[in-house]
Amino acid sequence: MTNRERTGIVQLDEMLRGGFLQRDAVMVAGTAGSGKTTLGLQYLVNGATKYGENGIYVTFEQLPDQLYRDALGFGWDLRALEEQDKMRVVCTSPDVFLASGRKGKNLLDPYIGEVQARRIVIDSMSHVAMYVDDKDLRKETYRLIMYLKTQGLSSLLLFEAPQLIGAVGPLTDAGTSFLVDSIILLKPVEIESSIRKVVGILKMRGSDHDKNLREYEITSDGIVVGSSLSGYEGIMSGSPRKLQTVEMAAERFSKSFTGKARKG
Amino acid sequence: MVEGELLLKRLLSSDAKAELLTLFRANPGLVDGIDGVARRIGRTRASVEPEVEDLKRLGILSKRQVGKIEVLFLDRQKDAEVQKAVERYLSKVGRSF
Repeated sequence: MTNRERTGIVQLDEMLRGGFLQRDAVMVAGTAGSGKTTLGLQYLVNGATKYGENGIYVTFEQLPDQLYRDALGFGWDLRALEEQDKMRVVCTSPDVFLASGRKGKNLLDPYIGEVQARRIVIDSMSHVAMYVDDKDLRKETYRLIMYLKTQGLSSLLLFEAPQLIGAVGPLTDAGTSFLVDSIILLKPVEIESSIRKVVGILKMRGSDHDKNLREYEITSDGIVVGSSLSGYEGIMSGSPRKLQTVEMAAERFSKSFTGKARKG
Repeated sequence: MVEGELLLKRLLSSDAKAELLTLFRANPGLVDGIDGVARRIGRTRASVEPEVEDLKRLGILSKRQVGKIEVLFLDRQKDAEVQKAVERYLSKVGRSF
């Protein structure tokens, strides 16, 4: 059986038939507040504490001290993991990140060596995209993915999807979704006047995977994935409709003629 | 003047320097060009350049080349040494650090 990189989120690993394939580059696309950062941190913390796979978190906008604080809210002590050489949080600017590897050593080389990293999270590729022309984005993303694979790293590349609610538009502008091995979509949907969140696997190269959309919650322990969102259609549109059973349709039909509910 | 006193005076010689120290100590994984560092404390490159140079001379900040960009990062060992020297001085004059 192929070795898998477990996320440690039991139900998500079930959806992935055990986890991501090793060295895969995984795009995690989601809107603001969908839990991309939480998923990324959970993947690294579980990797370091449960599976002996150390990791690196690269952040462009959010400073590490804010990440440390937010992670502690889930019970994840990133500073302690750094002291134990199980993790590194690297904060830099996208232009530095892009300059890296053009000449001499890559920015990430020392950190990969220090913790013998197997996993990495880049938060986010949308920041990188702001520093690159559209025509170069695909090339630069390809260069990054190949560097990470060469270093033996499995990666989560976070992408900010612009739409909060509604139909899923193109995940990225420059076709980078073709370069990644897997795509995880985190999406808020409106159901009966409340905002709920669903996770789906849009693509997983070389592996079977769950085709259903499942509901998830961001709890005090991190992301918890629940059962599939059955009984609804049009979930990807952001405004799902309840599926009608034969009985429900008969009920409505009866009501429309008599104004009363059908007996028995 | 003793070493600790000199260091303390030098470290607190400007607001920008104090802000840089706070930034790097709170975020030891920060590795960025001078423009990025300046932006993260809401300042311009010109206003932090002399302070960065002084912190480099003290050894608290180190540099390395990434492509064409010189990146700055905290030298954790040197920073710990500087902190200890200041702490020794402060405890000598009767104040806790």
